[in-house]
Amino acid sequence: MALPVNENPSLLDSLRVQRRVLGALFLREAMTRYGRHNIGFLWLFVEPMIFTLGVTALWTASKTIHGSGVPIVAFALTGYSSVLLWRNMPGRCIGALLSNVSLLYHRNIKVLDIFVARLMLEFGGATISFFVLSLVFISIGWVDPPEDILEVAGGWMVIAWFGSALAIWLGAMSHENELVDKIWHPFSYLLFPLSGAAFMVDALPKAAQNVILYIPIVHGVEMVREGYFGARARAHFDLSYVLPFCLVLSALALIEVRKLAARVVPE
Amino acid sequence: MIRLDRVKKVYPTRFGDRTVLDGISFDLSKGERLGILGRNGAGKSTMVRLISGAERPTSGTVERHMSVSWPLAFGGAFQAFLTGRDNVRFISRVYSQDFQRNLAFVEEFSELGQYLGEPVRTYSSGMRARLAFALSMIIEFDCFLIDEIAAVGDARFHDRCNFELFEKRSDRAMVIISHDPGYIRDFCNRWAVLDKGCLTEFDDFDVAYGTYKEAIGITDKTLVAADSSFLDSVRNRLHLLEYSYRKAGVDDRFTALVNEAEFARSKAEWTRAPVDWKAAEDSYVTALSIYPFERSYWLVLGHTIKEQGDLAGAEICYRTAAAFGQPVQDVAIHLEFVVEQQGLDLRDYPLRAFSKVPLPQQAPGKPDIELLSYIFWGSSSIDDAECLNLLRRKDSLDQVAEAMVRDERFVLQYAKAISHGGQEEEHPEDQGNSDQRLDYILALFFTGLNGPERESARDKLGRSTDILRKIFDLDLLTDWNLTKAAIDGVRE
Repeated sequence: MALPVNENPSLLDSLRVQRRVLGALFLREAMTRYGRHNIGFLWLFVEPMIFTLGVTALWTASKTIHGSGVPIVAFALTGYSSVLLWRNMPGRCIGALLSNVSLLYHRNIKVLDIFVARLMLEFGGATISFFVLSLVFISIGWVDPPEDILEVAGGWMVIAWFGSALAIWLGAMSHENELVDKIWHPFSYLLFPLSGAAFMVDALPKAAQNVILYIPIVHGVEMVREGYFGARARAHFDLSYVLPFCLVLSALALIEVRKLAARVVPE
Repeated sequence: MIRLDRVKKVYPTRFGDRTVLDGISFDLSKGERLGILGRNGAGKSTMVRLISGAERPTSGTVERHMSVSWPLAFGGAFQAFLTGRDNVRFISRVYSQDFQRNLAFVEEFSELGQYLGEPVRTYSSGMRARLAFALSMIIEFDCFLIDEIAAVGDARFHDRCNFELFEKRSDRAMVIISHDPGYIRDFCNRWAVLDKGCLTEFDDFDVAYGTYKEAIGITDKTLVAADSSFLDSVRNRLHLLEYSYRKAGVDDRFTALVNEAEFARSKAEWTRAPVDWKAAEDSYVTALSIYPFERSYWLVLGHTIKEQGDLAGAEICYRTAAAFGQPVQDVAIHLEFVVEQQGLDLRDYPLRAFSKVPLPQQAPGKPDIELLSYIFWGSSSIDDAECLNLLRRKDSLDQVAEAMVRDERFVLQYAKAISHGGQEEEHPEDQGNSDQRLDYILALFFTGLNGPERESARDKLGRSTDILRKIFDLDLLTDWNLTKAAIDGVRE
């Protein structure tokens, strides 16, 4: 039974191959990271859940002033979950190719696939964690149900899109430039307090609002909060800024991947 | 079919661009097995990566009209933290194959048993190789890329690999890279040499192999363009023995000659024909002329000489092997055999093994005797009987040198040396390897000299008498008590 060669694959055939490859890489990645020990795959979202719970507890204890009528638990839940989403994605993609470069010997596996598989895992973990924690808090009455679930999902996707595009861009650049890895850590650390996770834009002075709204993640976080809390949140965001921003960043990322794919040398 | 059209590959380096492949074109159809010969770093593996599609050419095109494997038995694609079974599962998923069927095959073929459930990082290299090969066999490609498979596993596993590849899959196309010319000759039906970025095809293996040998610097069996620059970093004789062993192993010329010898030897074991034993001997001798202090091949050279009935010649080789540090157990039985066959007793002429003692006390080998003979007698050609006599009776280099000094040939040489050499020419047969010989003499006896001093010594010591005089000038024989005493005797 020789392996068939499809000289002129239809789009559907190609999509099928793509799905297969991403599926295989996703499971390989998940197995490698979580393995079969103790709770195995559950770590996928238990890990971010512990993070979020910890930060929620800290912020509650220190009564962080965030300048709105939003309850602190709900505020921490929406804030820190979104931080985990955008911050872990580049963290997982930087250097991802270096440890997986020999996978390129399987011709259907492309550079982009390796990044996308990791992003799928990261997105899945953060989303399940956010979802499960929301359910728990809602069911015990600490948080009210979201006013507009679709808007929450929309904001969540905006953050994920930004995170993914940034991750692929940095991931591709990091293969030939170790500076990316070095700079990303302090950069992400500094970006965290500016990302809107720990404050509401509305609470800032007008001048600061104008500046902070240049940061695309802020828009996503604000949108999630509006979806969750409705008018109480007094959210500020502008999709006509953040979506083109993500689009351009994605284009840059794909260009970088293409350049890298032409040069990469499997060991 | 696979078609490469003017494929070029350039790697940017810090010292500018390096062109590895410069316009490679060929077609490969089903059933064709292309063997590629080329020196280390000629770009063979790069070519395989380009064909496999893992890497892209800088310019030119690679067309694949059939499915092409990844480089066979390649273990790098393992995820070391996953189990062997998980790796099988991954490959099965990527290539859309039945996992259970594949797992059954891998279990059967790799003989890893329970270990398939363990992470690959806990495997030995042999186990990895077995898993990698089994994995390569579960996907039925039209074309297999084989990069140095000869290095994999034990003989039995090797045999099974060959059966899987060349018997069961003889209808496939293959590209084979190997350092083992016998392997390429036996399993390929097309041959090519990759040199300086260009690929030249040959219909005949022998022509291809001849071109390859020329490319790596073996132009003729008797003449080797010896490169002894590595001797500059040699500290002493112990270091030289260790260093030669490692250095020879990565020298294309040496490995090519040894492979050739091995090939002739396995042929000779079938044919029992003296001509084949002679061919093996010649190749070993040429290989050892590049690295005379390479210890492991003196033993096999001894075997090939013994097979031709020259017991004394074999004894020289065995004694040299032991003196250079081959394990005594390996050498002793062979030495005992050839000594007894000559009607002698090993107890009268004991085996002298390598030991870490000062230079004059170290056990002599044939190359040492030739060098000492050159210094003390003015000629490095010494007949087997005399050489063997010294090897049998003398425990150390000091004793060998002493015996040489007590010979009348030394008196002549000494007289020439103190009368500043005279105008006499060296022995014509000595001219060929004189540079290499001088490098060895400098490395062994002039160990105190630093780089520039060695450089200038190399220019000045054109004749053996110059060397002898220099040895006296620098008073290099302080530790050679026996030799010194004998020389004092001659002086008086």
